[in-house]
Amino acid sequence: MPARRFPARPFPLLAGAVLAAVLVAGCSSAGTASSITVTGAWARASSAMAAAGAAYMTIANSGSEADALIGASSPVAATVEVHETVAMGAPSPSDGMGMGSPMPSASAGTDGGMMGMQPVARLEIPAGGTVELKPGGYHIMLIGLTQELKAGTTIQITLTFEKAGPITVTADVRES
Amino acid sequence: MHPRPRAGVRLLRLAPLAAAALLAGCAPADATWQPASPPLPAATAPALGARDTAYDPPRAAPPLRLTGGDGRPFDLASLRGSPVLVYFGYTHCPDVCPTTLSDIRDALRLVAVPVRVVFVTIDPARDDVAAMTVYVDAYGSGFVGLTGTAAEIRAAADAWGVSYRRLDSTSAAGYAMAHTTETYLVDATGLLRHHLFFGASPELIAERLREVGG
Repeated sequence: MPARRFPARPFPLLAGAVLAAVLVAGCSSAGTASSITVTGAWARASSAMAAAGAAYMTIANSGSEADALIGASSPVAATVEVHETVAMGAPSPSDGMGMGSPMPSASAGTDGGMMGMQPVARLEIPAGGTVELKPGGYHIMLIGLTQELKAGTTIQITLTFEKAGPITVTADVRES
Repeated sequence: MHPRPRAGVRLLRLAPLAAAALLAGCAPADATWQPASPPLPAATAPALGARDTAYDPPRAAPPLRLTGGDGRPFDLASLRGSPVLVYFGYTHCPDVCPTTLSDIRDALRLVAVPVRVVFVTIDPARDDVAAMTVYVDAYGSGFVGLTGTAAEIRAAADAWGVSYRRLDSTSAAGYAMAHTTETYLVDATGLLRHHLFFGASPELIAERLREVGG
């Protein structure tokens, strides 16, 4: 009865596919429909008296439409903003304290040049894409800390996306 | 002897983990799941440029006489006998400055002899003695924070080849400062030996410190 063996093979494959689908679908901490996933969230340990803290993470969008990070909040800070560190080209020692020219867009080549920082009102997460928030690039700025960010603890940060809505992530606090 | 951009390498190391986390659903950040495939080789990391430049020949470090953590005059020359790392930044800087100072702190843990770290503000309007003291104390006892008048800071920065300027901003944190982000390595005899670019790894910083006797 060789035909009897036939269904034995597809079944584990099907089960595996279903399992994978369930895992992927269960990914969002916001619930069921979101295609946004946040991983590797961490915040730099910081004194409560520091002017601002920073948090980093990877945001992935598994959906077929772009989404965008448009806001953030956290119980540990009065205000939470998304900022971007940008290269500003060759140094010019006589720049003085003037208002400066408009910032060029982000670029990796910073050796020898100045680096500046600007708020980002809307950070697009492309369809099927990933955006890294990391030192020297995009970062979550925690302004007006309400507590010390102590290494070994965790903090909550709620990210607000244009389509996915609010997603709360847990960030590990560490020294570096 | 292999300078590398730490951020790029770290990113590559994280890539399989990030992919794994995506596949595994809401994996916590401390998941111990190991990817089946090895990380991408470092050779594919972008921008494998040098992360530092040597002063060849070494030259005398420019003068640095400002106000120290106790509110009293501080002279870099008083640190002769120890290697010194000098960095210009500001305390409202949440990303580049803490990243650099953390890398330096981590490097100091890798070397045997005491190294002093001098953090000079380029934002004296907000960074008074108290603000600088709070800021550097978080990194350990070898760190000194220097401030001064706007004119004193500008003169010191010019002497060291440091550029900075104010960037007005809509941020709740107020204005930002654009600034050059090199770390200067001064040896125990007061000679300027290297400058290290942003992203120099703690290992590279430690190696340079050892080379000058740190």
